[in-house]
Amino acid sequence: MKTQNINIEKEIATEIQNTFHTAEVNIKRNKRIEVKLRNDLIPPFLSYAKNYLTFNHLAHFSCVDWIEQNEFELVYIIYSYEKGVIVLAKTRIDREKAEFVTTRHLWYQAETYERELHEMFGINFKGNDRLNEFILEDWEGIPPYRRDFDTVKYATDNFYTRPGREDAKDVRENVTKINKEEIPEFAKEYSVRSLK
Amino acid sequence: MREKETTLYLGPQHPGVTGNMMVKLKVAGDTVVKAETHVGYLHRAFEKLMEQRTWMQSFPIVCRICVPEPDPNEENLARAIEEIEGREVPERAKYIRVMILELSRLAAYMLWMGGQAGTAGLYTVPQWSVGDRDYIIDLFEELTGGRIYHMYIWAGGVRRDLPEGFADKVLRTMDYLESRLPEYDKLFFENAIFQKRAKGVGIIDKDKALEWGVVGPPLRGCGIKHDVRIDEPYEVYDKLDFVVPTHEGGDVWSRAMVRRQEMEQSISIIRQVIDKMPAGEYYNKVPNPLNWYVPEGDAYVKTESARGEFGYYAVSDGGLKPRRVHVRGPAYVHGVSLLEKILVGANISDVAFIMNSLGVCPPEIER
Amino acid sequence: MALNLKGIISPYNALKQAGRKPHTVQYPYKKKEAADRYRGFHFNDIQECIGCGTCSTICQNHAIDMIEIEGLEVGPGDSGLRPRVDNGRCCWCALCVDSCPTGSLSLTKDYLYVSEDPNSFLLIPGIDNPDGQNRKSWISNGNSLLDYKRIPMRELEGQERVKSFAEVVLGYNEEEARTEAARCLGCGICTENCPVHMHIPEYINAIARGDDKMAVKIIYDNNPLGETCGKVCTRRCEEICAFTKRGEPIAIRWLKRYATETVENEKMIEEIVNPTILPPNGHSVAIIGAGPGGLTAAYYLAMRGFNVMVYEAKEHAGGMIMYGIPKYRLPLDSLDKQIEYLQSIGVEIKFNTKVGKDISFDEIRQHHEAVYIGIGFEVPYKLGITGEDASGSIQAINFLREINREKHIEIGDKVVVIGGGNVAIDAARVSRRLGAEVTILYRRRVEDMPADWEEIEGAEDEGVIIHPQAIPLEIITDENNKVKAIKYANAEMIPDPKGGRPRPKIIEGDEHILEVTTVIGAIGQEADYSFLPDDIKEKLEINRGRIVVNEDRQTSIPWLFAGGDIANRRADAIGAIADGFNAVKGIEKFILKEDK
Ligand SMILES: Cc1cc2nc3c(=O)[nH]c(=O)nc-3n(C[C@H](O)[C@H](O)[C@H](O)COP(=O)(O)OP(=O)(O)OC[C@H]3O[C@@H](n4cnc5c(N)ncnc54)[C@H](O)[C@@H]3O)c2cc1C
Ligand code: SF4
Ligand code: SF4
Repeated sequence: MKTQNINIEKEIATEIQNTFHTAEVNIKRNKRIEVKLRNDLIPPFLSYAKNYLTFNHLAHFSCVDWIEQNEFELVYIIYSYEKGVIVLAKTRIDREKAEFVTTRHLWYQAETYERELHEMFGINFKGNDRLNEFILEDWEGIPPYRRDFDTVKYATDNFYTRPGREDAKDVRENVTKINKEEIPEFAKEYSVRSLK
Repeated sequence: MREKETTLYLGPQHPGVTGNMMVKLKVAGDTVVKAETHVGYLHRAFEKLMEQRTWMQSFPIVCRICVPEPDPNEENLARAIEEIEGREVPERAKYIRVMILELSRLAAYMLWMGGQAGTAGLYTVPQWSVGDRDYIIDLFEELTGGRIYHMYIWAGGVRRDLPEGFADKVLRTMDYLESRLPEYDKLFFENAIFQKRAKGVGIIDKDKALEWGVVGPPLRGCGIKHDVRIDEPYEVYDKLDFVVPTHEGGDVWSRAMVRRQEMEQSISIIRQVIDKMPAGEYYNKVPNPLNWYVPEGDAYVKTESARGEFGYYAVSDGGLKPRRVHVRGPAYVHGVSLLEKILVGANISDVAFIMNSLGVCPPEIER
Repeated sequence: MALNLKGIISPYNALKQAGRKPHTVQYPYKKKEAADRYRGFHFNDIQECIGCGTCSTICQNHAIDMIEIEGLEVGPGDSGLRPRVDNGRCCWCALCVDSCPTGSLSLTKDYLYVSEDPNSFLLIPGIDNPDGQNRKSWISNGNSLLDYKRIPMRELEGQERVKSFAEVVLGYNEEEARTEAARCLGCGICTENCPVHMHIPEYINAIARGDDKMAVKIIYDNNPLGETCGKVCTRRCEEICAFTKRGEPIAIRWLKRYATETVENEKMIEEIVNPTILPPNGHSVAIIGAGPGGLTAAYYLAMRGFNVMVYEAKEHAGGMIMYGIPKYRLPLDSLDKQIEYLQSIGVEIKFNTKVGKDISFDEIRQHHEAVYIGIGFEVPYKLGITGEDASGSIQAINFLREINREKHIEIGDKVVVIGGGNVAIDAARVSRRLGAEVTILYRRRVEDMPADWEEIEGAEDEGVIIHPQAIPLEIITDENNKVKAIKYANAEMIPDPKGGRPRPKIIEGDEHILEVTTVIGAIGQEADYSFLPDDIKEKLEINRGRIVVNEDRQTSIPWLFAGGDIANRRADAIGAIADGFNAVKGIEKFILKEDK
């Protein structure tokens, strides 16, 4: 990559670091700063970023399910039109007790994002009184965007497949049959066909 | 005397949006007192489906997030992967991508024009604009093999080079469309009915626009000059010459004027792209799509779509498949929180009209 | 508000459109021809397709099934299946086309299909629409998603090589291996050509995923000499790799080499393979000959609880992979590591025990319930020309054996090797390393040489001169009966009227004399069955020097099994390994059935 001028990013990063000592601040590239914070520092950080650092555009608010660590990662993507820089403010919350605070008071449209994450990941945003049905209808099972929700199973349980395709063969299996080859159990998951 | 409030369900099928979406209106007389957006008619869980597909297998999925303008989705996903992986894209591919993005912007504005006029009861405009849009669709067919969904931009570049004589065809189409603009002015933009309906209607508060997350033509229609192509130039926009039109007023009319002027800019950009496009490779091949482990990392990328900032947040855990792809469509804000706000006080007959002026595309909201 | 007069009048401008030609609908109706790239229904060239199923795997809509086609006859290198598209699911993204390795699949300009029957949307491309051939639109020529070029193998430079017996091939490093492994599509068609049917896609995928240990474990599932094969296998699997139709096959051999080489010693092999060794079952089997076939049989028998004893005439195990293959291709420490591992899990070898000399066959028969013979071909064919017995005229396999034993052999500075197989090339390349100038005389054309093309290229890089269409006539000796020169004639190729391969015919008078210090014969070997008692020999079915066996490598005598060079025509290490592996199943069947 070309060498990039990242002076403004450095300024912002230092400023953030000086204010939030425990934050992990990292300039990803020009115009992108990543800030990892303890979750209780997110509200003060966002309010500070919005009001003092001119990051007044909430571009996106996302959640990543790190089921292996039993955590959700919340990612606030905020933008300063003035500085032309995006900050990705990240924090981790407990996946079992999926709860966080609303940021609706800072950005009115955060309400919609929180409704989505509530519905899809089952995160409760305290202070948001509009976490009602949004996209899904009469949903009962586990929130569908959690990694442990099995879409294939859901589809096969709820929809039927049109008959006529039962004669499909697996190529690898067919070749093994021709070969009289026995693939040991431990090797089976390494058949690329298991992508499906 | 206070009028009795009644509840009105507008949609899910109606001319205000491209797709299905319902607005639950509380009205007093013919004035909206409260509006609530209801989505869920188009949810296909694309983001979740991508988590079960390899990175390259995700490309045919993302374009379906937006019918009028699918290409920013492909471009965004491609660029997000490229950023995570650090993959270089050949210069020619970047020019081709910009050409496509601008063609799709034009096509989207054509469709918007039809919808905007249609919601005002001016039915000749959609007949024209949908017909003219077809010339762009024909170009797409020739270039990408697909008319609506192109599945053409993907990680590493684009799938095929321009066919023989394609550049000339594009230029001819641009000349034609340019010659049509004055006719649209006479038919639509100067039309007294449209002006009467559009001016002073659906006003977005300029002071609140940025904080509310308003983007694209609605933002520029408030007189605020922001455009991703300028703020954070991607592909080769920094090598092109164009202006970002703005219009004071924040109403349906200003948004229409912004789009009208941007059409001229897009035509000019496309001409420049064809003029400047270098020869050479158009695709930097990615590894075997069945076995491509994209390194760990995340990226937020954005483009200026016909409706404003279109963003993709993509996360890779180093595996074959995305850990997470989260799409940010402009309609997410325009169609829910913003719409619910500015519909208050509007006349019922203006609801669809206002929605259209915001460029509300439901599949962006729910994906 | 003032009256907007302009705004009322100007829309009427549209009226002038009324006279214009309509630009969307045409009268009379003309069917619109789709663009040259239009992505419509599929077409598949059934003859080109190999049924690899990549199209089916890549399809993110699960629209493609692989199905059996009635009447379709295919050979090796083809799964026998063909794709069928569910047009109710397809989105015409053409990912399948762009990742079809053979290029047989394409999309066509056809896009209209109307039916009331929802079950009629299944299309077998190429079979249901043979005329699609003429309407192809989206093809993958030059635009494939796949990478047809393999990662080149690094080697010592030709001039450097001849200075020592250092290994020529340097092996992939980790990054190269991962990249090469990632090219694999996982179809598994290659396994058809592997005599033991190694689980190729699985171990390659393990490498691609960065799990080398798993790759090793998978390799050892049916090949205990994986590292040997990784270095010297004849790799017929690569010949039918799906990539060969348009490019370079996956470097299957080099990937196996990479994985097995990551394991440093026999202890680590044991840790990784972690074999399940069944408790002793009280049965005992004899193996004659510790070549790759015998060792393989011994290994899997030992794992299944048999008491196995290997009788080996020489002082080391490995047979031809020890005494035949030169060390610059298969270094001694690599072989040692592999054999020590086999011994560590319970394979017992009695060295310096030649059956027929040090122990009689009958005695072996008395002590064991079944016997596997894998004695290989160790007796060289004679050239059959005068002067062959002179000093300075030697046989390639004897020569290689002595060199591999690190014995010194005087060959002088001008060597001629006669033959065109791998043994001839090995003898030639070894002679180069001893400092001689080397010429190979071969009866037919270079393209007819049975040797591996990489070996031929390697020899040429090292300065070996290959003289094709040359037939030796006589070895000329001096007064001490020492080789002085060789007389040969050039030959022309006569086409075979029956359509067989052309035969060389001496051109009268085109005779030449080449001064040499050593003549090395390398025109083939045969077996020495003299250790077998007459009654056994009588009952044993032998065809053209090879013992006839069934699928279980069982001979016409039920307790006697045979494999390796003496039983299969491939005459390579993996062929012997497959025989050993399958003989285990046969022996198990034979002995345990008797049990009942
Ligand atoms: C020079 C050369 C190069 C080759 N290169 C390759 C190559 O690159 N790749 C490849 O795949 N193959 C190669 N081969 C072929 C390969 O080595 C053989 O096909 C393979 O080793 C045959 O295995 P086998 O089990 O039949 O036994 P062999 O390897 O032939 O071994 C037979 C064993 O039996 C022992 N034996 C014989 N008679 C008796 C007896 N009476 N009592 C006790 N023990 C006995 C011998 O001492 C020997 O150890 C090469 C062969 C040669 C000669
Ligand atoms: S990918 Fe190509 S060769 Fe393989 S099965 Fe499909 S059509 Fe046949
Ligand atoms: S074109 Fe796309 S959707 Fe259709 S069968 Fe091929 S891969 Fe599947």
